[in-house]
Amino acid sequence: MNSHNHNQDLTRRDFIKGGSAATLMGLLGGIELTARAAEAEAPAVAVAKTRCAVIGLGSWGREIVSTLSRIPGAEVAAVCDTYGASLRRAARSAPGAAQVDDYRKILADDSVPAVIVATPTHLHREIVLNALEAGKQVYCEAPLAHTIDDARAIALAARKASSQHFQSGLQLRADKHRAFVLNFIRSGARGKAVAARAQYLKKQSWRQAAPSPEREGELNWRLNKETSIGMVGELGIHQLDASNWIHDALPVSVTGFGSMLLWRDGRELPDTSHLVVEYGNGVRLIQTCTLANSFEGEYEVYYGTDGTVTFMGSKSWLFKEADAPLLGWEVYARKDSFYQETGIALMMDASKQKSLTQEVTDVITPLQYALENFLRSASDVRAAVEDFTSNYGEDEEALKEHMATVPRQVGAGYLEGYQATVLAIKAHEAISKNQRVELPSSLFELA
Amino acid sequence: MGGLALLFAAAMVAQAAEGWTEYRARPGTGSKVTIDGTSTVHDWTVEGLIIGGTVEVGPNFSTDPAVAKVGKVDLKSTVFIPVRSLKSMKEGKPYSTAMDDIMYGKLKMEEHKNIEFKLVSMTLKEAPKAGAPFLFEAEGELKVAGAAKTITMPVEMTAPEANRLKFSGKVTAKMTDFGIEPPAPTVGLGLIKTGDEIKLGFDWVVGKR
Repeated sequence: MNSHNHNQDLTRRDFIKGGSAATLMGLLGGIELTARAAEAEAPAVAVAKTRCAVIGLGSWGREIVSTLSRIPGAEVAAVCDTYGASLRRAARSAPGAAQVDDYRKILADDSVPAVIVATPTHLHREIVLNALEAGKQVYCEAPLAHTIDDARAIALAARKASSQHFQSGLQLRADKHRAFVLNFIRSGARGKAVAARAQYLKKQSWRQAAPSPEREGELNWRLNKETSIGMVGELGIHQLDASNWIHDALPVSVTGFGSMLLWRDGRELPDTSHLVVEYGNGVRLIQTCTLANSFEGEYEVYYGTDGTVTFMGSKSWLFKEADAPLLGWEVYARKDSFYQETGIALMMDASKQKSLTQEVTDVITPLQYALENFLRSASDVRAAVEDFTSNYGEDEEALKEHMATVPRQVGAGYLEGYQATVLAIKAHEAISKNQRVELPSSLFELA
Repeated sequence: MGGLALLFAAAMVAQAAEGWTEYRARPGTGSKVTIDGTSTVHDWTVEGLIIGGTVEVGPNFSTDPAVAKVGKVDLKSTVFIPVRSLKSMKEGKPYSTAMDDIMYGKLKMEEHKNIEFKLVSMTLKEAPKAGAPFLFEAEGELKVAGAAKTITMPVEMTAPEANRLKFSGKVTAKMTDFGIEPPAPTVGLGLIKTGDEIKLGFDWVVGKR
């Protein structure tokens, strides 16, 4: 997307081609905050590959397999699904991988130390607990579970498995661009927090065609209130977690509204929802999710007394208030016009670009960052356990202490995963009942 | 020196009478290796928290300042530092896995999993004083990336608690002595080069079984 060249001639075609709010914002102008792959130029030595398996090969599971194929440190040793067609489709991105129909076969295979669990949410508990029990390093997609009981069981098992690595699939936590922009926010560039707004808009049914009624039920688990916590659980959770992270706080209440506006096909969960998430200091996040409209796709806006920061895809801009103090660096930063506003690009490694107008073409997705970090941590944790036991012998207590010193790559752990899942479950409850739900701090604590 | 130390010394004498006593690397007790280096852009630090190996002490070894004599002591030791446990650090936090990977490549980790040190001789340099570390000069063979070089370094020893010995030391070495070309990552138009000289420091705690 080359937003600069298109400044003057926004057409519907350009917009659809760009397909995101970032395009629109770019076309209108703004200060962009984007991430460059900071270490992309670092000299490569032979990267030790971590053998891993992906369990659950729906559309997101297949996206994970495809992303893994671009990660030098990843070797997809096996893909697993109970449904043959999904298995074969996923295998196209992982030609060397074994195709397995029962995840227990992977857990029994000692040559596969790491598993990525991307099954329907309500199946996470059994698989994750068994995987941790089998000594695997585990990446569990978000949300951790569809009930608080299940989420707690997963988080407690992950906490107990201190010599294994557990990562929750809240991939924005691993995104280097996010971390880069967060520094600006933490350093006070937007002033005091005022409010936040987020949306996830995508016109799509979510219902998938299936060859049999049995398969239909399995495939469309997202539409069933027994197995799904709806849009806020499957999509909105990432923004809720990002908001908690940026506000460095957990909310005190959530108020929800849900409606069925387009997909009246017998499904049990609303296709449109609104949330007001309160942080207790007068700051609120307002989130809208819908499957009935796609305008501006997904984005987050964080308003402050000195400025506003937006996250759109892998880009960010800072919009300063007229009376905000001069930061200095923004004089030299790239600026984009957005209708009546001017945004300052928050761009990681901007000084390494050849020119200010050079577009970033090698954007790494948050999912890729998250999986890279997971595999590196998994490998480092495993190596640390081996090095420890071969030099010091078996000493469980000392090993536990040592594991606390082993560096892990950034990413959401079991606690962040648990807290975001609890919030999404409560938000879903608020949406289902069109009411306000209090969130005592004890709710977010792991017993 | 309290009763505990006296007991310790007595135990040492008892065992010395039988010959040699083995100490093994102990976890979670403050063992740490650091490697400090320079580059054309900034200084760098690498840390590791695992030091394995053994120390055997013989008849003339004592931790009692009144008994220990200046000169060569009966002490054998082999030390292992797993290469992959070494991590680049910045301000006390892990710095960069890219830098770690460069280091692992330079240290030929695939073929040589450990940095090794085999002690040849240990000499007590001056009469020890009560409550102060014992000062030794250690001579041994340091093996890095498969290349061996004999080095000498000052080593301090304390007995932090009964049945434990702590050795600390610092030595300056050159990467090229071990056949390692100082890394010059292909960033910044190749202007970034690390200095050949490095400072290796360690604290190592061993204990009796």
